[in-house]
Amino acid sequence: MARLELNVSLNRVEGDLEIAVALEDGVVAEARTIGTMYRGFEQIMIGRAPRDSLVITPRVCGICGTAHLYSAVLALENAWRLSPPPNATRIRNLCLMAEGLQNDLRQTFLFFSPDFCTSRYAGEPWFDEMTAMFEPFRGAIYLETLAMTRRLVEIVAHFGGQWPHSSYMAPGGVTLPADLRRISACRAVLQEAQRWYEQRIVGAPLDRWLALDRAEDYLAWLDEPLHAASALGALTRCARALGLHRAAAGTGHMLSYGSWRDPLESSPGAGASLLRSGFYDGDAGSVAQLDQELINEHVRHSWFRHYDGGRHPWRGETVPNYQPGGDRYSWAKAPRYGDKAVQTGPLAELLIGGDALIASLHAMEGGGAWLRQFARVRRIAYEFFYAQRMLDELAAEPHGEHFTPPAGSSEADGDGFGLVMAARGALGHWIAIRNGVIERYQIITPTAWNASPRDSAGLPGHWEQSLVGVTVKDPDDPIEIGHIIRSHDPCLVCTVHMLDTGGKVHFGA
Amino acid sequence: MRGTQVKTLFWLQTGACGGDSLAILSAEAPSFEQLLLSYGIELLWHPSLSHAPAKRFDALIEDIASGSQKLDILCVEGSIITAPRGTGLFDSYKGRARMDIARSLAERAEFVVAMGTCASFGGVHAASPNPGDCTGMQFNRANPGGLLPAGWRSRSGAPVINIAGCPAHPHAMTQTLAALAEDMPIALDPLNRPSAFFSMLVHQGCTRSEYHEYDIEDAQLGGHACLFFNLGCQGPLTQAVCNDDLWNGVSSKTRAGVPCFGCTAPNFPREADLFTTAKIGDVPLRLPMGVERARYMAYKNLARAAAPQRVKDKEMDV
Repeated sequence: MARLELNVSLNRVEGDLEIAVALEDGVVAEARTIGTMYRGFEQIMIGRAPRDSLVITPRVCGICGTAHLYSAVLALENAWRLSPPPNATRIRNLCLMAEGLQNDLRQTFLFFSPDFCTSRYAGEPWFDEMTAMFEPFRGAIYLETLAMTRRLVEIVAHFGGQWPHSSYMAPGGVTLPADLRRISACRAVLQEAQRWYEQRIVGAPLDRWLALDRAEDYLAWLDEPLHAASALGALTRCARALGLHRAAAGTGHMLSYGSWRDPLESSPGAGASLLRSGFYDGDAGSVAQLDQELINEHVRHSWFRHYDGGRHPWRGETVPNYQPGGDRYSWAKAPRYGDKAVQTGPLAELLIGGDALIASLHAMEGGGAWLRQFARVRRIAYEFFYAQRMLDELAAEPHGEHFTPPAGSSEADGDGFGLVMAARGALGHWIAIRNGVIERYQIITPTAWNASPRDSAGLPGHWEQSLVGVTVKDPDDPIEIGHIIRSHDPCLVCTVHMLDTGGKVHFGA
Repeated sequence: MRGTQVKTLFWLQTGACGGDSLAILSAEAPSFEQLLLSYGIELLWHPSLSHAPAKRFDALIEDIASGSQKLDILCVEGSIITAPRGTGLFDSYKGRARMDIARSLAERAEFVVAMGTCASFGGVHAASPNPGDCTGMQFNRANPGGLLPAGWRSRSGAPVINIAGCPAHPHAMTQTLAALAEDMPIALDPLNRPSAFFSMLVHQGCTRSEYHEYDIEDAQLGGHACLFFNLGCQGPLTQAVCNDDLWNGVSSKTRAGVPCFGCTAPNFPREADLFTTAKIGDVPLRLPMGVERARYMAYKNLARAAAPQRVKDKEMDV
């Protein structure tokens, strides 16, 4: 048996990703995900005013800063027992949906699809069609995606002043109300983008596409001319021709914090969501209620000072201890739900949230790389649907409160958490406030779940599991690994950890 | 295109969040894709957008270092992470410190452009206590000398050009690149920022400025009035085009009721409660740029007395 150790670096992901794989006769026998960067956000947060988290934490990630801002503000509201007025939640949701639309379109058509336009596939029957659509800076869909996503983030700018990186959500609401001008401008953007999505991406009106609820109906629909000629139709044919629907399911366990807060059922920092939250148990095939107390993180294989087992974020620590050459190999920690390695992202979000078509396809052939990517394009329909609903509700009540100032000026001590579904999946912030300043701050990002290294029990993370068994045809150009990892929408800048250490920490501490 | 030939561009990410890369995709005049399609810029590499396999990245950094590949413009996004103990291994690529890659590419580039406050001055990652020992390309916060010494010059003779901002303004990025593509001269300010984008204040063009002139100030977020006196706004102190060339074509932070945090300045994020204005008595510790304290107090008292009712009542929308 020929064994080959291969270190793969991936571009077209956000941040720095290296994956060490062991190939046996061309098949991945073992994989290790390596987060190669440590920025030390955690120490920067310590001792700062609690609201500074609204400025600092969006800077964790340039692609999903709205999601970080939303988590940060929910954590503060949870700690201070505040509930925002319904219109504030509507505006927050609308902005998160716009950021999600931006991400889902860019990830699919700028990051994932170009992999099918490489010379390796020049002989495939679908090559010319894929190139015409997705070749970087030339393909029609590629260029249209650049133009359309530029429009969509205008929605965030209308309420937040700019995208990326703003701080327009604050404990008690948002800084700017909806008004006639903003509602009309946002509606115009959404309508234009939705029409493009219907015509060019899925080839059907939104309501018809959302009503499609059975796997066999979708597979038959693939042959309908409008869908067949659409970007998703082409992508699906190509990905399935390569067998990506049967590849790389990874762990069967999934996690969703629930999509978008329900404006009318908001309890401090938590509350109900428009698509439900939960833990999908891949062994039982059922969804259990989410319990954030079960979340914990391990550092056994990470470059941090050792502690035993896993710790809940309120009790965790992040003390860098860089030791190259041993069996520690990543700046990512290993988050676990109980003792389970889980995956998160649009597939988890829609499967747990109750999308019938995703559930049907998942039941038929499992959660492979294609279904993960397909779920991302499917989620776009929900983002349009609920964004329009948020605007309708704002238009019906344009003079409703958008901000309820916290009583008094004191920012009390306490603990809080904020959980949202970011574009890449489950994002959580945990804060502890003591003596009026941040004593402890911990973030678990979606990519931390997916890119997790091994835990204390030696259990590999989701990507590490999903790569095992994948055939790599050319070790010099391991494009199969690119397909699979990019189907997760990886964001390595997201694996940073933020937690207090009680003071300044140096290397080797 | 006035430039005589194709200019090659290499975009390197170091300790970054990717925000400048995402922001530049929102530019419209010119757009990022226009730079490539109409301005004669050849994108050798961008980590988020290049579609060649990563081994092409390896070959490029080798060929540029050896001189066999010409490099006209090096864009660096992100802080330079130098920990632990100056090795840079907290941010590595295949075991090599990224700060070494940045230095080696800079030595070969005609122009080096720091995209964003991180690459310019260290940025959010260099905030106290700076656990990654982060710095900028040629400044460490406000001090000359970062990864590269203060006297360092690229092959064209220019220092590192600092397009500060967190993220940098989309047009500050693409219009600077367009100027380089067209061989236009670029005047720099003392922080090596292109003066064209850093000579005006965020306060200029702010829709709340009439509230500021009459000293009608909000004490809480969520209102219509000025954010300078109570809520930490740095607009009158911060050089940037945010309220002149609107973000995403539609707005700015201060228009949306978000205090300006001064993200184009070397001390961003400053060591203070970012939503609070430090004051001596009733007067902010830091006054609008160039203003004398005694005159400002006198003028503010007069202005407040003269404020029209519509301003006092905060009737004007923003």
